[in-house]
Amino acid sequence: MAFCVKVPRSFRLLEELEEGQKGVGDGTVSWGLEDDDDMTLTRWNGMILGPPRTIYENRIYSLKVECGPKYPETPPFVRFVTKINLNGVHNSNGVVDTRAVGALAKWQNSYSIRMVLQELRRLMMCKENMKLPQPPEGQVYSN
Amino acid sequence: MAENSGTDPSVDANVDKNAAQDGTMIVVTVKTPKDKEEIVISEDSSVAQFKQEISKRFKATQEQLVLIFAGKILKDGDTLNQHGIKDGLTVHLVIKTAHKSTAGSASPTTSSGAATPQASSSSRTSPAAASSTGGGAGVTPAQPANILSGLGDLSALSGLGMGSSNFMELQQQMQRQLMSNPEMLSQIMENPLVQNMMSNPDLMRQMFVGNPQMQQLMERNPEISHMLNNPELMRQTMELARNPAMMQEMMRNQDRALSNLESIPGGYNALRRMYTDIQEPMFSAAREQFGNNPFSALGSNADSSGAQPSRTENREPLPNPWGPPATSASENRATGTSTSSTSTGGTAPNLSNPLGINAMGLGNGVFSSPGMQSLMQQLTENPQLMQNIMSAPYMRSAVQSMAQNPDLASQALLNNPLFAGNPQLQEQMRSQLPFFLQQMQNPEAQSVLTNPRAMQALMQIQQGLQTLQAEAPGLMPSMIPTGLPVVPPTTGGSVPQENPPASAPGSTPSQQQQQFMQQMLQMFVGGEPPSQTPEVRFHQQLDQLNAMGFINREANLQALIATGGDINAAIERLLGSQPS
Repeated sequence: MAFCVKVPRSFRLLEELEEGQKGVGDGTVSWGLEDDDDMTLTRWNGMILGPPRTIYENRIYSLKVECGPKYPETPPFVRFVTKINLNGVHNSNGVVDTRAVGALAKWQNSYSIRMVLQELRRLMMCKENMKLPQPPEGQVYSN
Repeated sequence: MAENSGTDPSVDANVDKNAAQDGTMIVVTVKTPKDKEEIVISEDSSVAQFKQEISKRFKATQEQLVLIFAGKILKDGDTLNQHGIKDGLTVHLVIKTAHKSTAGSASPTTSSGAATPQASSSSRTSPAAASSTGGGAGVTPAQPANILSGLGDLSALSGLGMGSSNFMELQQQMQRQLMSNPEMLSQIMENPLVQNMMSNPDLMRQMFVGNPQMQQLMERNPEISHMLNNPELMRQTMELARNPAMMQEMMRNQDRALSNLESIPGGYNALRRMYTDIQEPMFSAAREQFGNNPFSALGSNADSSGAQPSRTENREPLPNPWGPPATSASENRATGTSTSSTSTGGTAPNLSNPLGINAMGLGNGVFSSPGMQSLMQQLTENPQLMQNIMSAPYMRSAVQSMAQNPDLASQALLNNPLFAGNPQLQEQMRSQLPFFLQQMQNPEAQSVLTNPRAMQALMQIQQGLQTLQAEAPGLMPSMIPTGLPVVPPTTGGSVPQENPPASAPGSTPSQQQQQFMQQMLQMFVGGEPPSQTPEVRFHQQLDQLNAMGFINREANLQALIATGGDINAAIERLLGSQPS
C-alpha cells in the first residue's frame, strides 16, 4: 500500500485553485491563478491582509507565487508585489528569501500556497516585524 | 446559458428572468474576517454592481469595500466573469475604516488618530473602528458603552507619537503606559472630568451596569448588585480608587491577610469559596477587558475602576484588621462595611470560617454596620470564635503592627461601637494603648487569649469586679483579683490563670490598667449585667474545695472562675500553682 501517494502536480494545483476560489481558511489570505487560461497552473496571485495590531494592519499585500514544474516537491517561488518592509523580504524587489521563511525552508510536499501565505502573515505578527516602519500604502515594486 | 452545477438559484433565475439584468443569478459568498454573507448577483454584473449589493448588506459605503478573489483585488470596472467568479465561490471582503485611506498619504493612521481624540466623537468612532477595521482586526473588543474609549482618546493626545496605527491599539498602549507609569495614572485621576465622573455614583453605576460582563457577574452574584446599588459605597470606592497609594496599601494588606488566612484550617476553603464565587468572575471580566493586569483596570479607567473596587472590595473581607493606615480607616470602614455585610451574611454562623468574619470584625472601624455588631455579639457569645481568631498567625502580625502604630490602634479601637457609649473608657483606652499593645504581644497573653475558658474567666472576673465596684467602691484597690492574666507581663511574671493572692499588692501599680482592662472586658461582653458574682455562682464548688482542703479562698475562686466552675480542673490548677 502506498504510504504517501505522490499526487500529481496538476491535481494538487487544481485542488489549491478550488480552495482559493472557495475561500477555504479564515479569509485573511487569498490566492488564485493569475491567468485563468494558464494550463500549466504556474503563476498565481496571492493576497495577504495585514494582521491587526501590527503595523501592517488594514493593508492588503499582493504577492506573486510561482509554482515550478517540480511543485509540490519544491517550494514555490514567492514575491511581494506591494512594497513591504519585512524580515526575509528583499527590499529592492520584494522577493521572499526561501531561507527566511520556515515553511519555505523546510518545505514538504504537503505544504501549499495557502500555508506559505499564512506563514508570511504570521511573520508579520512576530515581535521583530510587527513594528517595522512601512512604506506608504499602495506602492509596488517596480519589477 | 451557463449552467452552474445545477444550483437552484440559477434554475429559478432562468425560470423567472425577472432581474433587470439578463444572465443567471449566482450566489456568491462574501467573507470578511468576521462574518460572511451570501449575495445573489447576476453573473454578468460588474464589480461595481457587486459592490453595490454588498454595501447594502454590510452597511458600508462602496468606497470602503475592497474585494479580493483568488489573490486579486477586484476593481470596480471589472466584471465578475473576468475574474471567474462563479456560483458558490467565495470572495473576500475588506471594509476599510473611515480614517484609513489607500491613497498612500504619508502617515494617515497617526494623524487621523490625532484627529479623533474628542471624547464625544470617540465613542462613535470606536464602534465604527471596531467593526470596520475588517482588514484583519478581527479581534477588536468593541464595547460601545465603554467609557475607556473616551478616556483613551483623551490620553491619546499625549500618547500620539507612539506610532500606533489603530484606535484600539491606542487604548491598549495607554493602558500599558498607565500600568507602568503611576504618575500618569494620578494625572488622569486628577483630571476634573474624571473626578466629576467618579464622584457621581449614579453615573458610575450606570457605567458598570452597562458593561455586559458586569451584567453577567451581577446575575451570578446578587451581592455585587447590592454593592453597586449603594451610592454611599460607590462614592467611597471611587475615592479609594482615586488614591493609588491608598489602593496599593490596601492591596498589600489584603494580600498579607489573605496569605495568612490560608494557613487557617477551614479558612482556606472559605477563602477559595469566596474567590470562586465572586472574585474570579470579576477578575476574569476585568482581565479580559483590560489586559492581564488587574491593576490596569483600576488605573486606566474610571469605568473599570468602578469594577475594580467591586473586586477589591470582595477581597476586602479578609483585610488585615490592624493593617490599613489610620487615614484610610474611614474608607476601609465603608468598603469593609458592605463587604462585611455581604460576607457576614454568607458565612456568619460558620465556625470553620471564623476568621473570614472576625477579621473584619476586629478590624479597623468596620463596626458601624449592624452586621458587624451582630458579629460582635456572636463573638462574645462564643469564645470559640475568639480562640480561633487569636490563634490566627496573622493576628499576631496584626497585633504587632498595631503595637507599632498606636495611632492606628487607637483609631481602630475607638471606632468600636462597644466603646462608643463610654467616652471615658475611650480616654482610658487611648492612654493605655501602647501598654495594651505590648501586652498583646506577649505570647503568654496571647495564649491566654486563645484559651476560650480563659476569656470567659476574664469576663467573669471583670463582672465580679464590677459588682464589687458597685457594692464596695472603697474595697477595690485591695480586692483586685490578680488573676487578670494580662497584667502580669508588666509585673514581669508569668501568666497563670490565677496568681496567688500574695501577689495582689504587687499588682497595685497596675491598678489603673486593671480597671481599664475590666472596663474593656465589660464592654467586650456587651455590658451583660453582672447578675451574680463568681463567688455566688461558684459557692457550691468553693465549699467543696474547702472541704477538700483548699483553704485559700481567693485562689479557689480564681481557679473556679478560670475553669468555669469545673471543680476538677480547678483543683488541677490549684495543685499546679502551689509548687510555684
